[in-house]
Amino acid sequence: MSARDLHGPGAPWGAATPGSKSNTDFKVVGRALRKLDGLSKATGAALYADDLQLPGMLHAKTLRSPHPHARVLRVDASRALALPGVLAVITGASMPIKYGVIPWTPDENALAVDKVRFIGDPVAAVAALDEDTANAALKLIEVEYQVLHAYLDPFEALVRHDPPIHEDRKEGNISKNVRLEFGAVDEALAGADVVVEDDYEFHGTTHAAIEPHCALASCSADGVLTLWSSTQITHYVHRALAKVLELPPHKIRVVQLNLGGAFGGKSDPFSLEFCVAKLALVTGRPVKMLWTREEVFYAHRGRHPMHLHYKSGATRDGKLTGVDAKILIDGGSYSSFGLVTTYYSGQLLTGPYHFPTYRFDSSRVFTNKPPCGPKRGHGSVQPRFAFEVQLDQLAERLALDPIEIRRRNFQGDFTRTVNGQRVTSNGFLQCLDAVERASGWKQRRGKLGRGRGLGVAGSMYISGTNYPVYPNEMPQAGIQLKLDRSGLVTVFTGGNDIGQGSNSMVAYVVAEELGLKLEQIRVVAADTDLCPVDLGAYSSRVTFMVGNAAIDACRKLRAQLVAAVAQKWACDERRVRLIDGLAIDIEDAARSMTSVEVFQLAESKFDTLGATGSYNTPKLGGDYRGGTIGASPAYSFTAHVVECEVDVETGRVSVVRAWIAHDCGRALNPMIVAGQMEGSAYMGLAEALLEHHQLNRFGLHSGPSLLDYRLPTSVDTPELHALIVESIDPEGPYGAKEAGEGPLHPSIPALSNAIHDALGIRLKHLPFTPGKVLAALRQEQALRPARPHAALDEGSR
Amino acid sequence: MTVFSFHINGDRVEVAAPDHWTLLEVLRYRLGLTGTKQGCDKGDCGACTVLVDGRPWLACLTLAKSVEGREITTIEGLMPAHRKSGGAGADPLQDAFDRCGALQCGFCQPGMILSARALLARNPRPTRVEIRHALSGNLCRCTGYTQIFEAVESAVAQACGTTTAARAWEAQRERACEREDTP
Amino acid sequence: MLRLPKFELRSPRTLSEAIQLLEEAGPAAMVIAGGTDLVPNMKHELATPELLVSLAHIEELRGVRREPEGALAIGAMTSLAEVAASELVQRFAPALAQACSLVAGPQLRAMGTLGGNVLLDTRCQWFNQSYFWRQALGFCMKKDGSVCHVVQGGKNCVAAASNDTAPALMTLGARLELEGPEGSRTTAIDDFWVADGIVNKKLGASEILTRIVVPPTPRGHRGAYGKLRDRGSIDFPLLGVAVRLDVDETERVAHADVVVTALAAQPKRVAKVGDTLRGQTLGSPEFESAVLAVAELARKQCRPLPNIPGDADYRREMVPVYVKRTLFAAARGDGPVHHV
Repeated sequence: MSARDLHGPGAPWGAATPGSKSNTDFKVVGRALRKLDGLSKATGAALYADDLQLPGMLHAKTLRSPHPHARVLRVDASRALALPGVLAVITGASMPIKYGVIPWTPDENALAVDKVRFIGDPVAAVAALDEDTANAALKLIEVEYQVLHAYLDPFEALVRHDPPIHEDRKEGNISKNVRLEFGAVDEALAGADVVVEDDYEFHGTTHAAIEPHCALASCSADGVLTLWSSTQITHYVHRALAKVLELPPHKIRVVQLNLGGAFGGKSDPFSLEFCVAKLALVTGRPVKMLWTREEVFYAHRGRHPMHLHYKSGATRDGKLTGVDAKILIDGGSYSSFGLVTTYYSGQLLTGPYHFPTYRFDSSRVFTNKPPCGPKRGHGSVQPRFAFEVQLDQLAERLALDPIEIRRRNFQGDFTRTVNGQRVTSNGFLQCLDAVERASGWKQRRGKLGRGRGLGVAGSMYISGTNYPVYPNEMPQAGIQLKLDRSGLVTVFTGGNDIGQGSNSMVAYVVAEELGLKLEQIRVVAADTDLCPVDLGAYSSRVTFMVGNAAIDACRKLRAQLVAAVAQKWACDERRVRLIDGLAIDIEDAARSMTSVEVFQLAESKFDTLGATGSYNTPKLGGDYRGGTIGASPAYSFTAHVVECEVDVETGRVSVVRAWIAHDCGRALNPMIVAGQMEGSAYMGLAEALLEHHQLNRFGLHSGPSLLDYRLPTSVDTPELHALIVESIDPEGPYGAKEAGEGPLHPSIPALSNAIHDALGIRLKHLPFTPGKVLAALRQEQALRPARPHAALDEGSR
Repeated sequence: MTVFSFHINGDRVEVAAPDHWTLLEVLRYRLGLTGTKQGCDKGDCGACTVLVDGRPWLACLTLAKSVEGREITTIEGLMPAHRKSGGAGADPLQDAFDRCGALQCGFCQPGMILSARALLARNPRPTRVEIRHALSGNLCRCTGYTQIFEAVESAVAQACGTTTAARAWEAQRERACEREDTP
Repeated sequence: MLRLPKFELRSPRTLSEAIQLLEEAGPAAMVIAGGTDLVPNMKHELATPELLVSLAHIEELRGVRREPEGALAIGAMTSLAEVAASELVQRFAPALAQACSLVAGPQLRAMGTLGGNVLLDTRCQWFNQSYFWRQALGFCMKKDGSVCHVVQGGKNCVAAASNDTAPALMTLGARLELEGPEGSRTTAIDDFWVADGIVNKKLGASEILTRIVVPPTPRGHRGAYGKLRDRGSIDFPLLGVAVRLDVDETERVAHADVVVTALAAQPKRVAKVGDTLRGQTLGSPEFESAVLAVAELARKQCRPLPNIPGDADYRREMVPVYVKRTLFAAARGDGPVHHV
């Protein structure tokens, strides 16, 4: 059901008026409470996938392709099978059915069938008594390859497709092309007072969650297969296993334990999940596979490199007239979420600013590299970088304050974007105000001396979308509640807690709704046998959708609880309030009952107590092909100000501070929201300065390790200031929207803009390495006498 | 396969393991102490940090047999030691990490907490810069480190008898919501 | 998990026992100290010894002592953290203390030893990779193959000396004491290196580095270390610069030295540094121009190769900058030069 009507007069928190920003009416929501799983994690008790060991368990390893593009002519595992301690070897022939997280583009095999498409593509898997034996067996497998031309350059893949990377495709090596135009862009640009046109480049980066992927499968004697996996999409893994293994879904159980970080890197079904399942079926023993860090880099699904061309026009007073984008997306070897990525690269740019006209033409091409996929801020971080830098270029041309040009183009709340997306609450102006004030923008910008600067950028992001990856009319999120006579409520949710705290969020909602203490709630999550379906932790959908489903379930139960108490007290139900582990009579302070008594009373009256709840988005999206992709029930908004310091002699850019203002609707737990905001900003700044998922001239990852792929340490991370803005969304659970992905977006363009403020150079090609800074400085100095600063906007009119 | 003994969280244990096993493998797969995590395979991330004779040490680069006779502390050892000395609940540092929101996915935190524990043992009142440096061998991918710094500072404050909330969450929210039109 | 290849581990209690074990096993044996370099390399199958002889339990190899004549004698098994924190080293050999304080990250400095850092294997982005990785491109001449991917068609291995302590010890005129089956010997650290990335040091078969001896430094000794790296922790140097300035009572430079590392197979002493700086008074304009002249000498003499990760042109550009900054830091009695 739609959440639209949920927060009317029946709201459980008393007299709060809709839209109220006050948290005083809540007992649980809005407070910086502990997480459900914090202490178990802090004490080392929390179990992650590799922490499980089952009796008789085998260990599995993967043989991988050393070629970026080759035909697999022959795989001979006979010598490996002969090695003592080896129980089974499987190859592509064992699981020939293709899968893909997007059902329209199933182009992956668990193990290569016929072809390998990047260095690291899985070819065979071995199950053995121990890891050493499995590794030894890998060296005994003989594979004969016919090496094919490897596409490492996306521009080449765009125009050449002989040999194709994927056969049977109509458009050669083009994975997806989306061209959408809203309004007359060319006319709008022609009529603009000022136009800026430029090229931008976003490099590849990866998630690098600290936990490597791990999966463990076990098959019972009666044929029920259980998979414990480090996944953020239990439900899609369940579906994919059933398809590839040709098993009825009810014979498969998928469980996600504690997850050591994901960020989108565990939101595809992965080779190891199919391999351990198949090997468990073949051997009749539990089988575990833990990837090495190097293998995680090959599995990738990280941020797509993009070449972006933008042309934007504005009036003399800084109002945008049109935006025209052409984007080339380097997809790597498989589709993954690529169809969605291609849409997102254009569809998600149409806020928080009003675009009178807009066009984008995005092409994703296949290359013989590890497959790209969804990384935090899927598909929209790259265009956001380009556009927010371009907006600063426009402001510069018009001699406008960069915050002012953003204010002037604000789209407003409760409006519709140029591409037909419905926008509800929108706290972007408050975000701008917050970072402007906290950073001392007015007093400090442009006055910090050469080498030090402030930059701003804004963004918007989705709180889930109404596009489930496979078309169906069923709920996107479901919740089941079980009430126990002991006073305990057990919540069953398919939602995947990947460290973002979604299990805790569910507990906060249930405690608030049923007036319980937090300790009275247990959450059972992400187990396909036990929990109702939730689509998974992606697209920043969990708080919004699972939160609303939880409210839905609780309201049904609360009605029963209140009815039972009212009957007992022989009073009007409106006098009964459930709060803090008690039922109280709001007109008679002397009368109260503990929740244990309430539960028992209700169970006597109504029978065993439980309820289900669900959430589905309302109908959303533009009326055109692809119009529902990126259509969200609510959008979050963010503004950053970044303060940087550049050593002009070494070119090293240091971020001194970052102020992150984020409109999350309502912070159900401000401490957790702030953690998401700070973690997002950290990750964005890391991409801007340090991280690079880079391939060498052989098509081999140049440094697949946490030594060479440089995650910032505690001395490399700036002081981060989270400024929570609450716009109270009418449809979010208690007004909440997402906070996990949106706050990453502005950090990168804000840094580029800060560097411009510091030194007058525009960095448009990521990452901002010291070498690039020095080169830009040299160029700026060469041009400086003629045209200070403005000369650097080579592309501008 | 060699049999060797060492002290783990105060208990003497005898372990039989091949010479080429690391301490990390022995802890996780022989002793069932899975609180010590594995993130990078080879000494780059700090998730496997344990204390060897009180010093932060990477278990993934330590040959198991080489700790013969030494005192190892893992994340599982902190709460029992705290209880043994008369405390309640978890170790104060563990509690501070929970209280301050420093645990998101939690995977790096056992190592992080042990690095922080070693810091506080030699420097009970570290500055934020000292905390940054002491934790600079432990990668965290979730938090951006801020809430980790606050957790360590909060534990220090608590040890000094001053109880402070890491941040004034309510006040912060209201500040951010105000609109202010003048500089 | 990335596994170690199989081997036998022995942990002798005495040096002679260790040497005997090494001698008996011959080339199949290797010494392990802190293990922070060797263990990752073994996980990558870059070294596959059958026998590892651990020095961890040989007490005589630990500790920092000041000899009667003023030399510092540092046991090879003394941890980098201990050397960095040693008041003796900070006072008499500041460049060494600074270099030790910047090796890798805190845990690795607690585990890693000074001897191990001196003997650190050379590094290269085409070498420090897994067996699968190296096999995918046919290996390289440093291990299992015959070609060089850094200098295509190159005949010599150019893997980079990456030990932070080596240049500092070179500026300090350190001596290495080694013990082997033939007895003990001492060598100047300057004479220890060869220009070969495959093995860049003259370590005899079954020989163990036992002590590093830093000769007495004069009262006016100043030293500093500068390190370029991407992150403020964990990373190996992209460039390392150790400097020495010995000044007389009037703060005039009597002796000066600059050694740069992470360029090629061995650390490089910049030529004509002493001549350029000698006689200049710290803080004078002449001193400052002499420092700039030394930086320019370094730029001309040092050519980093694209052997380790990072842009080689940028590393080259940073040579004079880091030489200059490290010299100024030493003159101020300051350092290290490091971005955090």
